[in-house]
Amino acid sequence: MAKRKFKIGSYLLVSPYVLFFLIFVAFPVFFSFYLTFHKWNVISPMKYSGLYNYEKMLHDHLFYKSLVNTLYFLLIHIPSQLIFSLGIAVILNTKIKFSSFFRAAFFLPVIVSGVVVTIMWQQLYGFNSGLINRLLTDIGLAKIGWLTTENMAMPSIAIMATWKNVGLYIVLFLVGLQTIPKYYYEVADLEGATDWQKFKYITLPAINPTIFMVVIFSTIGGFSLFIEPYVMTGGGPLNSSLSSVLYIYKQAFDFYHMGYAATLGFTFAILIMLVVVLQKRFLEKKY
Amino acid sequence: MVFIIFIFSACHIDQKPKNELTYWSSNNMQEINFTRYFVNKWNTNHTNNIKFQPIPEGQSSEEVLMAAVVGKTTPDIYANMWQGLVEMYAKSGVLVRLDTINGFVDFIKNRCGDNVLKEITSTDGHIYQIPWKINPIMSVYNKKEMTKIGFQTAPRTYDSFLKAGKKFSKDTNNDGYINQWIGNTSIKNIWYQRLFDFYALYLAASNGGHLIENNKPVFNNKYALEVLTFLQKLYKKQYFAKENNATGSDKFLAGQYATKWTGPWDISYTKKFKPKGFKFGYAPIPVPDSHQGPVFTYADPKNIVIFNTCKKPLKAWEFIKTLISEEGDLKLLSLTEQLPRRQNLEESTLFKDYIKTHPKILPFIKQSNYVYGTDNCELMIEVLSIISDEYEACVVYDKKTPKEALNAAEKAVNILLGNFKSIN
Repeated sequence: MAKRKFKIGSYLLVSPYVLFFLIFVAFPVFFSFYLTFHKWNVISPMKYSGLYNYEKMLHDHLFYKSLVNTLYFLLIHIPSQLIFSLGIAVILNTKIKFSSFFRAAFFLPVIVSGVVVTIMWQQLYGFNSGLINRLLTDIGLAKIGWLTTENMAMPSIAIMATWKNVGLYIVLFLVGLQTIPKYYYEVADLEGATDWQKFKYITLPAINPTIFMVVIFSTIGGFSLFIEPYVMTGGGPLNSSLSSVLYIYKQAFDFYHMGYAATLGFTFAILIMLVVVLQKRFLEKKY
Repeated sequence: MVFIIFIFSACHIDQKPKNELTYWSSNNMQEINFTRYFVNKWNTNHTNNIKFQPIPEGQSSEEVLMAAVVGKTTPDIYANMWQGLVEMYAKSGVLVRLDTINGFVDFIKNRCGDNVLKEITSTDGHIYQIPWKINPIMSVYNKKEMTKIGFQTAPRTYDSFLKAGKKFSKDTNNDGYINQWIGNTSIKNIWYQRLFDFYALYLAASNGGHLIENNKPVFNNKYALEVLTFLQKLYKKQYFAKENNATGSDKFLAGQYATKWTGPWDISYTKKFKPKGFKFGYAPIPVPDSHQGPVFTYADPKNIVIFNTCKKPLKAWEFIKTLISEEGDLKLLSLTEQLPRRQNLEESTLFKDYIKTHPKILPFIKQSNYVYGTDNCELMIEVLSIISDEYEACVVYDKKTPKEALNAAEKAVNILLGNFKSIN
């Protein structure tokens, strides 16, 4: 009897989370899946449409374009995020002056609102009056249409996103770096290892779990690219910065195609899962 | 247990008194003051109280309204509904059929005229919206700069606009880049931006023509072709700046743009922020050189609707009548600088004093006789979005000829409307 009472108590203790999970996670996921087989503009009753949304998706060139754009963004964003955050973390981990100040300074963009950062960078990127182009012309270079040319819009967004998030990954790498026992390096010094050899054979393998975490976080964060193109370019020019999430948003909240947006969302979630699984397998094999 | 009690207590249903009507207005201060004035006046004289609140904050008013429809928490009355959205709400059956109210049609006919009545009639032959206010799109121009290049006002035709562009657009600091332009429009590919450039110019060129008629696209015509050709030239020759408006300071006030296309909301803004000695005026937007007749423009109409959750639609209509009475319209104009959708505004003795003391509003009042809202199409946003895609490719980036852009837009809209019909 006492055992049974204990069980009820346990259920009661976990019930807030279970309730939260059922209402805010499980129900929306199942409802979204249900929606993929329906046509619904929110205010009219739902209509069963079979596989229409999936068929539409397969013939939708903007869906493919948005996927390619997102992958292009990731291709720039993940390596640059890794290189810059690791590089800066390694420098900050040495005994440099004002290291606390620099740590705080690099972290500052992380806590600033995404919209504020985006608007600020939009000003910097302005073709005619942007500060970056002014600097370029001051040193005799040509102006660049950062947000107004097809081939530059996505890289410009990736640069901005890297600047915004690099601080978070610097902190993660710093934590990783500080857990490496100092005697590893002392032994390497005795053996006459160069700085590069120490970095390659001690630092990198030791922070492998952090690298893995940064890659996964950057991938998932990068896949959810939305605010930056929404505010800066609206997905243009010529859909060159249309990310998958922005496209899903447009279908749902500009055109009220909730069923189609749910279909895109589901497909996209499966793709993210596949990419993350592949990354996991690759990184685990490599190190 | 505490959590469960908390959940249930949070689910308390806000039951309003039986005799109360809820009213959502837009959430800008001027309209809040306008609404508060009439709600207070009504509540002191009637037992059916109006409970007023600005529309709750959200990403957009449309999203908030949709959430309210789903949750069945719509207000009884909502003011500020974009005309292009009404058809979708009407087809969904969430709005009250207003033409069934005794005296409604005559009231609207008397206030707005036959053309407006026709414009707001849904494709099912009923009326679901009360035409309320408009913000006609016109050219604002920098008087000093235009005089310098030999123009007394904003150029009225495409040819003169291009000539003005040639004279005004230049590189003044010799850095190899143009830094003053005859004007600009948003280069962002967002559907509603096209209402203020392509669509306004299309209405002007076509004397108030349609985009969609009988569920078919009808915009692939000589007027749209002329508009796209004109706009494409402006960007190609760098007479318009290829930059988003959000970057940098206000280039019109800084003298870098000689004109821009805007509505009456611009009057108080320009007065407030203009530099010393800055003189400006308003003129109709440009039309093709061969254009004859009055110059139409986009009205940017915002209307009032009654949701079918309203238990007392007749009382709601009685209250709305006070908002759109002559007194209400004058109050709207004086408090918000937005024009009531009322015919013969200029001739009405009621508005004479206001116009006399606020002469900048006069061009907009004159223009209000020649405005059009949007066609009654359930998919108007998507139609505009398709046009915006083609506009961007043709006008801003010169990737398509105007004809190619129009053909592509027509084809895409045909597919859109055809698919929509077949699945419904």
